[in-house]
Amino acid sequence: MTAAAAPALERRRPAFSLGRWLEREGVFSWLMVAPPVAFLVALVGYPFFYGIWISLQNRPVAQAGEFIGLDNFIHAWHDPIFRQVVLNTFVYTIAATLLKMVGGLGLALVMNQEFRFRNLTRALLLLPFIVPTVLSTIAWQWILDPAFSVINWLLVFTGIANPGPSWLGNPHLAMLSLIVVNTWRGLPFYAITLLAGLQTIPPELYEAATIDGASGWQRFRYVTLPLLKPVIFIVTMFSVIFTFADFQLIYVLTRGGPANATHVFATYAFDVAMGAGQFGQGAAIALSMVPPLALIILAMAIYMRPSKS
Amino acid sequence: MMHESSFVPPYDAFFKNKLAAAYEKATGIKINYDVVSVGSLQTRVTTAAENGTGPDMTHIGFNWAFLFDEKFVDVSDIAGEIGKESGGWYDSAAEAVVVNGKWKAIPFGNIGQLMNWRTDWFKQAGYDKFPDTWDELLEAGIKLKKAGHPFGFELGHGFGDNHGWLYPLLWSYGAREVEADGKTIVIDSDETARAIDYCRRLYKETMVEDCLGWTDVNNNKAFLSEQISCTNNAESILWSAKKDFPDMAKVIDQSENPKGPKGRFHMLNPLCHAIFTHTQDQKAAKDFLRWLMKPEQAGAWYDVAVTYYQPFLHAYDDAPMWKVEPRNLPYRDALKTSHLPGWPAPLSRAQSETIAKFVVIDMFAKACAGKSTKEVIADAKGQLKQIYRQA
Repeated sequence: MTAAAAPALERRRPAFSLGRWLEREGVFSWLMVAPPVAFLVALVGYPFFYGIWISLQNRPVAQAGEFIGLDNFIHAWHDPIFRQVVLNTFVYTIAATLLKMVGGLGLALVMNQEFRFRNLTRALLLLPFIVPTVLSTIAWQWILDPAFSVINWLLVFTGIANPGPSWLGNPHLAMLSLIVVNTWRGLPFYAITLLAGLQTIPPELYEAATIDGASGWQRFRYVTLPLLKPVIFIVTMFSVIFTFADFQLIYVLTRGGPANATHVFATYAFDVAMGAGQFGQGAAIALSMVPPLALIILAMAIYMRPSKS
Repeated sequence: MMHESSFVPPYDAFFKNKLAAAYEKATGIKINYDVVSVGSLQTRVTTAAENGTGPDMTHIGFNWAFLFDEKFVDVSDIAGEIGKESGGWYDSAAEAVVVNGKWKAIPFGNIGQLMNWRTDWFKQAGYDKFPDTWDELLEAGIKLKKAGHPFGFELGHGFGDNHGWLYPLLWSYGAREVEADGKTIVIDSDETARAIDYCRRLYKETMVEDCLGWTDVNNNKAFLSEQISCTNNAESILWSAKKDFPDMAKVIDQSENPKGPKGRFHMLNPLCHAIFTHTQDQKAAKDFLRWLMKPEQAGAWYDVAVTYYQPFLHAYDDAPMWKVEPRNLPYRDALKTSHLPGWPAPLSRAQSETIAKFVVIDMFAKACAGKSTKEVIADAKGQLKQIYRQA
């Protein structure tokens, strides 16, 4: 009986096929997700947790570390430059993000209209985003240089100011200049992403609103804005993260000067870790970005969540 | 061998094409000369030291012999031999590389920072030679600014041109951050206050406003575009002018920093060569450095850069290269009064942190931007106490 049952069982169970196994949803989805997960673990997860570990040590460069708990964070908290860095980073991020949001939305609305050379204009719009930051920042260095600045030349030429302002020498103007350059660089990202969002809004909604007698502003306020909210949230979240952790632009233009007026988390952490060779302190300064950043994103997520109505 | 790209292009080319080729011919050992961009060397040295891989030898600067102490081979033996062979070392050589009594690198040359000035404009203001004291410099600066030729000294977060004059200014008034014991913070002194008051006047009455935000490139640009009549810099301004603006080069001169009440000082900016401990054949690396520092090789390499790198060895005090451009002679003389930022305190991690946080630079910069002397000294003192972990 056993001998007779065996062939019957074999007939019921199909031969193993790798192709079919791979096509199973559970297997295939994991297979697709595995490379990016491995990539993230190796290049983001490992450095992140290693950074946390270093931040808890007195770890001079080229020497073994010594576990000191939260001492580096306490040291940073009592450091007057660190407090200025926190303030600078918030001012820089909030101002630049708001400018990018308003400007980007405006640009996207304009780009969504029909006009001649629209595609060419859209392509050109991306230019600040495409040019490597270091290169475009060097161009800005010339624009903001008092001796060679085209802005100052115009101001002197038109008799508005003589001499022109010191864009990177005055602490307030230096911060303003960095915000403007950051906005210039980040605007295309906002504009193009919001433009993509605008194009997904069905025209019938505008038609219906127009029939109901809605004005241009009302169409924007009650149709465009609510439907664009998820896109605005995503793009703002990215922008906040990038701006908060900005390094290249500031390092090339001011290196945190004058007198720390433009130092932000990333530039200060770099100076302390690489310049002073204090890895533990540098890691603690860099990691101090995480809690405020997480809170900002959480607050934004709560504020921007789609309303049930 | 890893090296930061030289401001003098023939210098790098000479190593690659002549020195490396000659050494390979003589010994069969091939030396690779890796050039890294300006400003990125410390990051590259850090990476190599941390990972224990990469180049066998490297160019180092400032106080890196101390920072990477445990990762560099003790080269006291060959330093002694080289010193004996070439007339002895300047004292500043030991200040740059001796850590716990051991030579951690072989000093090659100092990239001195001196006063670069326009002789024609100074002459118009009544000065045939460069002012000898800081007070005379202020007096000259006021006249020159009125005549449309202001000064411009870096007060921002650059690598060297800010330290190049602000530390010497502080020292020349008899002030310092920390005593030679490396512990006692003495920044809060009348001498510091006098140096700050002087700096504020020099800035307000002689300079262009923008200096506060300058990094190392700005003063070169401003000088070569005839925006300023005097700045503190390495030999690069005269070098560039000779190449690109020969007429202007004729009216540029270089002088030692002015004297203060307590003397004349300069900043030490050493270029040295160190051997990593991860180097498999450390003897071969030492042999190479010994060969490199022999007068036949080192002398020729110095000559290519025409005193841009001022030798730390007395045998070169009267070398023919000093006669090629007599205006560079003050760089040789300045070596005797040159010190690393943080002097007279010994090299330490706290001192490195002080430099990386621009404590002294920003103390002066904040005063120039309008804060009171008392406030900026209190800020600096607070920072130093925090850095040196004192209650």
